[in-house]
Amino acid sequence: MDLKEERDLVRKAKKDSEAFSELYKKYYSQIFGYILKRVADLEIAQDVTSETFLKALKNLWQFRWQNVPFSSWLYRIASNEIVNYFRKQKGKKVSLEKITEPISTDNIEVEFIEVQEELKKHQDFLRAQEKISKLDMRYQEVIVLRFFEKKQIKEISEILGKKEGTIKSLLHRGIKKLKDEFFETL
Amino acid sequence: MEKDDLIKKLEETSLPKIEIKSHKERLNSVLMKKYSPERKKAEVFNIFRKLVPVGAIAVILFFFIFNNLNSPRYNLAKAKEIALQNNEIKNWLQQGSTIKDIELVDGRAYVLIEPPEAKKQEKEPMPASLKSEGAFQESEKIKENFRGALAEVNIKERKILNIEKLAPAAIDLIQSKKDKALDIANKSQEVQEKIPKEAEVLNINVHTPKFRLSKEGDYVSAIPETETEEKASIIYQFDENQCEGKIDLNKERMEELNCLKEINKDATSE
Repeated sequence: MDLKEERDLVRKAKKDSEAFSELYKKYYSQIFGYILKRVADLEIAQDVTSETFLKALKNLWQFRWQNVPFSSWLYRIASNEIVNYFRKQKGKKVSLEKITEPISTDNIEVEFIEVQEELKKHQDFLRAQEKISKLDMRYQEVIVLRFFEKKQIKEISEILGKKEGTIKSLLHRGIKKLKDEFFETL
Repeated sequence: MEKDDLIKKLEETSLPKIEIKSHKERLNSVLMKKYSPERKKAEVFNIFRKLVPVGAIAVILFFFIFNNLNSPRYNLAKAKEIALQNNEIKNWLQQGSTIKDIELVDGRAYVLIEPPEAKKQEKEPMPASLKSEGAFQESEKIKENFRGALAEVNIKERKILNIEKLAPAAIDLIQSKKDKALDIANKSQEVQEKIPKEAEVLNINVHTPKFRLSKEGDYVSAIPETETEEKASIIYQFDENQCEGKIDLNKERMEELNCLKEINKDATSE
């Protein structure tokens, strides 16, 4: 989907729930993946992803197309929600169990355990993420987006709404901090 | 570990696509349920957002107009306009009178109209204060003279409530100035020639055709201007005659001396 098609879909999503659902399905995995790489916890990733899309729905009508992919806007909401989550930390969580009708949880639990097992297999990632998570939030954002999400500086600048020079500087300082303080054992 | 090694390590570290399908589906159904209410909220908000600038402009315009309609400048102009619609006032102004001052009090305006060349009139004889004493008889010319007026205007109803014609008022002088005026008069050649020594001094004061507005609370009146008090007037009475002397206290000289019998004589000879 090119930018023009995406712009049309976003415009349609403001009038039609099916179009919004299409956008959601297109970006769910990407946003969930990014949040998981930031928090390294499935339960938190689910809650923050839910909050991200609920906020996106709430603010969809204020969204103005600025020739930037829709995903950048979602990434930005996700980044803010991660910050909010850790600020509140163990405060009010948006758990789907609280906002959906009760359903059989057996299958969900089985799936959750399976995905958790899958996550545990990636020890290299988990160790690196653990070190990154000790950095200041602004360094975490740029490092995860740059190395785990493989985003270009320009894209990171669009997502975070900061100048490219600022992103480069944050990356440089973030890597230095990671190297000096946390990565001697890696 | 070197910086480049760290970068390389980070670039190589990856996490494959991990997804919880049940969460994706449940979240989708939650979003679909919330879509319509959120859209309605957004529509209401959008209408409100569009109305806010319109409302703000309307409020600003309202205050601008309201303030201007109630501003003193606007009311002064309105009072002047109402006064000018009155034929009598219009006539005075056409003959050279001017609107000297306007005071606003609680929806009313007081318009002070000053006659032309008020200073010249200052020299004219016949103080109004003496009329009650029956000593002086004004000539028709003096009677016709316009000495100023105070018009009371109701701004809201756009009408003139009252027009008070002003008469030159007498201002009392302090004793030292009275003494000075009398001394100047008595030393003048005219007084020494025309006024017998036994003549009684009836009055020493200042007559001025110049007025200004005075506002005390809700009460506005026209009061004589005190700057002209340097010119005093002395009334002498002797036999069956009265004379009025005009004295310039600054220049310390007698400017003129008019006697009743002379005026009457002039009038009958005309």
